[in-house]
Amino acid sequence: MTRPGSTGAPLQVSNLEGKGPKGQRKRPALLGAQPLGLLFSAPYVLYVLGVLAFPLGYAVYISLHQFYFTAPGVQVDRPFVGLDNYVTVLSDPQVQRSFINIGIFLVINVPLTVGLSLVLANALNRVQKLRTFFRVSYYVPYVTASVAVVGVWLFLFQQNGLVNSLLGPLAPSPSWLVNSWLAMPTVALYVTWKQLGFFILLYLAALQNIPDELYESASVDGGNKWIQFWNITVPGVRSASVLVTLLATITGANLFTEPYLLTGGGGPDGASASPVFLMYQKGILQGNPDVAAALGVVLVIGVLLVTLIQKRLVGGKED
Amino acid sequence: MKRGKNHARILSIAAMAVLGTTLAACGGGGATGTGGAGSATTAKGPIKIWYSNNAAEVKWGKDMVAAWNSAHPDEQIDGQEIPAGKSSEEVIGAAITAGNAPCLVFNTSPAAVPQFQKQGGLVPLDSFPDGAQYIKDRTGDLADQYKSSDGKTYQLPWKSNPVVLFYNKDLFKKAGLDSENPKLSTQSEVLDTARSLVKSGAVQTAIWPSPSSDFYQPWFDFYPFYAASSQGSQLVKDGKSTFNDDQGKQVATMFQTLYKEKLASAEAYQGDSFAEGKSAMALAGPWAIAAYKDKVNWGAVPVPGPQKQDKSYTFSDAKNVAMYSACKNQGTAWDVMKFATSQDEDGKLLTETGQMPMRKNLTTTYSDYFAKNPAYTQFADQASRTVEVPNVSNSVQIWQTFRDAWSKSVIFGNQSIDDAFKGASDKIDQLAGQK
Amino acid sequence: MALDNVPRTAAGEPAQAKQNEASVEKRAHLGVGSFILLALGAFVFLFPFYYMFIGSLQTSPDTSVAGAFPNPANLTPENYANINGSINLLTGLANSGIFTGGVILGTVVFGILVGYALAQMQFRGRGVVFGMLLLVQMVPFQLLLIPLYVMIVRDYGLADNYLGMILPFAINSTAVFVFRQYFLQLPSTLFEAARIDGASELRILWQIAIPLVRPAIVTAILLTFIGPWNEFLWPFLVTKDAAMQPLAVSLANYISNVAATAANPFGAILAGACVLAAPAVALFIFFQRQFISTNIGSSVKG
Repeated sequence: MTRPGSTGAPLQVSNLEGKGPKGQRKRPALLGAQPLGLLFSAPYVLYVLGVLAFPLGYAVYISLHQFYFTAPGVQVDRPFVGLDNYVTVLSDPQVQRSFINIGIFLVINVPLTVGLSLVLANALNRVQKLRTFFRVSYYVPYVTASVAVVGVWLFLFQQNGLVNSLLGPLAPSPSWLVNSWLAMPTVALYVTWKQLGFFILLYLAALQNIPDELYESASVDGGNKWIQFWNITVPGVRSASVLVTLLATITGANLFTEPYLLTGGGGPDGASASPVFLMYQKGILQGNPDVAAALGVVLVIGVLLVTLIQKRLVGGKED
Repeated sequence: MKRGKNHARILSIAAMAVLGTTLAACGGGGATGTGGAGSATTAKGPIKIWYSNNAAEVKWGKDMVAAWNSAHPDEQIDGQEIPAGKSSEEVIGAAITAGNAPCLVFNTSPAAVPQFQKQGGLVPLDSFPDGAQYIKDRTGDLADQYKSSDGKTYQLPWKSNPVVLFYNKDLFKKAGLDSENPKLSTQSEVLDTARSLVKSGAVQTAIWPSPSSDFYQPWFDFYPFYAASSQGSQLVKDGKSTFNDDQGKQVATMFQTLYKEKLASAEAYQGDSFAEGKSAMALAGPWAIAAYKDKVNWGAVPVPGPQKQDKSYTFSDAKNVAMYSACKNQGTAWDVMKFATSQDEDGKLLTETGQMPMRKNLTTTYSDYFAKNPAYTQFADQASRTVEVPNVSNSVQIWQTFRDAWSKSVIFGNQSIDDAFKGASDKIDQLAGQK
Repeated sequence: MALDNVPRTAAGEPAQAKQNEASVEKRAHLGVGSFILLALGAFVFLFPFYYMFIGSLQTSPDTSVAGAFPNPANLTPENYANINGSINLLTGLANSGIFTGGVILGTVVFGILVGYALAQMQFRGRGVVFGMLLLVQMVPFQLLLIPLYVMIVRDYGLADNYLGMILPFAINSTAVFVFRQYFLQLPSTLFEAARIDGASELRILWQIAIPLVRPAIVTAILLTFIGPWNEFLWPFLVTKDAAMQPLAVSLANYISNVAATAANPFGAILAGACVLAAPAVALFIFFQRQFISTNIGSSVKG
């Protein structure tokens, strides 16, 4: 699929065709047809190098040494230990459990997010009455800080909270957030609710791009709403689905605040500990940034692998 | 475009990681020495201090600073509340790393001292000529628990909040129990009392220690009872864990029964359950009295052991004063430390906050106060028999290991106490042994 | 597909919106059943906020079902007064504003530059820059947190400083992504023509490209707003001085430490939460229309 305006060249291949910027004669474009682009990109590149690359490299460096932070001016031994920290981290049952927890989270959250946000976006796209009210009500959770909203959820889901009062005898015991089986799913439910607004937005935009003629011809052919949905809408927003899946996965894998606030740390017996929470615990609370950095690097590699696989699966032959 | 994007993506990750690692290896771990610690010990001048953010302590802190400042115009103190976090360790640790820690922190947790010391963030108080002597004179033998493994003292034992067992007299009365001389003198009596409380319907939860997994929670459920049972044994002694014995396991079993019979809740309460009348007993120190004042008709007994004891031990919940190496004017800082822990200031601390200064002979030194406030006498008496957290390396990780084992076996019943304690004990021995 | 649009001037935006409205007329109406479901969903989504608001006005917490309905006997604005007494709400809001404003400024100024460069300029290394854009999304902030902290606070000495707060968030990569995608939608012929005419790149950007992607800018600003406004961990680490802390940090501190001593701790926490949420919600309601621009559709292609 070609896009108007896209040149299709991904890598640093200079454009040897066409004229130079000021209509001059062709010259070997060493830096490309518009080398000013380098200047335009420079602030961003510097920013990424400074704020991302350097700390990332530093984190990798830390993970390969026996390392802890000291007051400025204090000299200590920081021997190179190769992959020792990685071995420590990966053989820690708590860490293994945290990866399983994130797996549970993603299995619940990602499909739910993709499905719900598409369905809701579809509905929000068609609704006429109270359109602004509905749209805003779905964004509001996304816009507010977890720190603030978590309090309400805790209030609602605690043992004597509203949810259990409503459920009466059906209420799970132990209650939601202290139940090893239900803790992570409850967190997943919370995060889905909270993030849905953003993904609805992405889908809403993608939906605008599906030409109405397709729907009209489908209804003329006798297709009902369901058939239209599956055969026109879903394929039509394919690339949005890819993006939603990727973003939801990345956000989910790097989850920290929500399980931390909702389940007071690692949850019942570590059932809702996330890898990033363990990084925080080991790195900041216990003063072992070397192990924490190793865990972080493993997480980044894991996320990279998962997203590459997802792109292949969901993206299909697109693009 | 997809393949191109992936290539570009992978290429740039690799490029950045390599570039960053090289940069970091060259420049990172940056230790450009700034020696001259010797001169700092005698330097005088303005200093910065942090005190706790507990309302009563803030008032004490401000008054203390004002009193010093008016007498020392050239050595002004700039005081502020400690920037709060869930635990002070993160904040102070971060400040040490950044090199902007204040001179004194009047809220240093003994459990964090080994870590700060390892970071090179603390000034040993023995480097002052009267350092060791002053501490010994003021606190007595109890001060030995605060020495670090290298024999030096990096903290000044300041105040303690001996943990006792509070109970709600009204709820006890409602349950038909004796509220003036409650049956709480042995651990099995505690269990029976808890059962009666819940069975009578007076309250849903007999006692509600926080079930969260933070590393410091054992200090308010396991540790006080263990101190009482073991007559003052720390969690780790001489590099070996001590709790994997009958006494430790007995305490654990008592709590396990409480959780199993739903006399205690596995879910955290958002607020103070005892102050709001949702639980009938609580493990807390005298600082809590201010919070309970108009809300609960409280009584307090010493934490019981397995048998009746006359003079029992408990956890100190001490907070100390430490001097941080980022301090330029350590001479002044030391003087301020002595001023803030003088008999006068200690007296003010006692009066205004109700917390016990870690000073010998409290009851005789401040006899007036205790005459006026007899309820506090038991705390003063208890303050002479307190157990501190062990001053060993990896202290925070040790307590976290213990807490995880406790959660698994006692609170959630997913493992037997024997297995959990054994596993924790082995791990802790290993951690305590590291340098 | 639908977007072979002739570039429009700034006045073209409403034209597109009108076209959108017309399409809606043509689309099948939402069935009653679906409408009810949508309403139900909206109720579920809004309920916690309603509860938050009601809870912040209660004198004493009421967790029963009846408590969900405002009970006149149990209402008081005291919780707001309480929390304002402990943390200065206005200072917190001001700090949040400065922090967020700085991030938005950095993102808009530098993000547009690089977004445009990636979309409509040919230069060596373009792919690498784009790769960086993707990578930034993938790395968890917590991994970089400690090294970043050491770098900014120790090496650069930017503790308790607005710049220190802003720096790690200075250019929001998602916003850059959005900018790039919007710029890609514009036909390159337009720019080639302008270049042939001798216009400088900066002029092309300023006078042609930017006016055509105004919805993108609004979208990006709104998206960029949420991050720093609600960010807690980084400003918490970087600021020790209570007068510099953004509201999210003061609120979190309050929740952890002081709330327990208030008359109605839960109500006080919810009051603070309402104050933090209010500006963000207001902003979204206000700019809601701009947010649902049709052109954002292209931002999601790949």
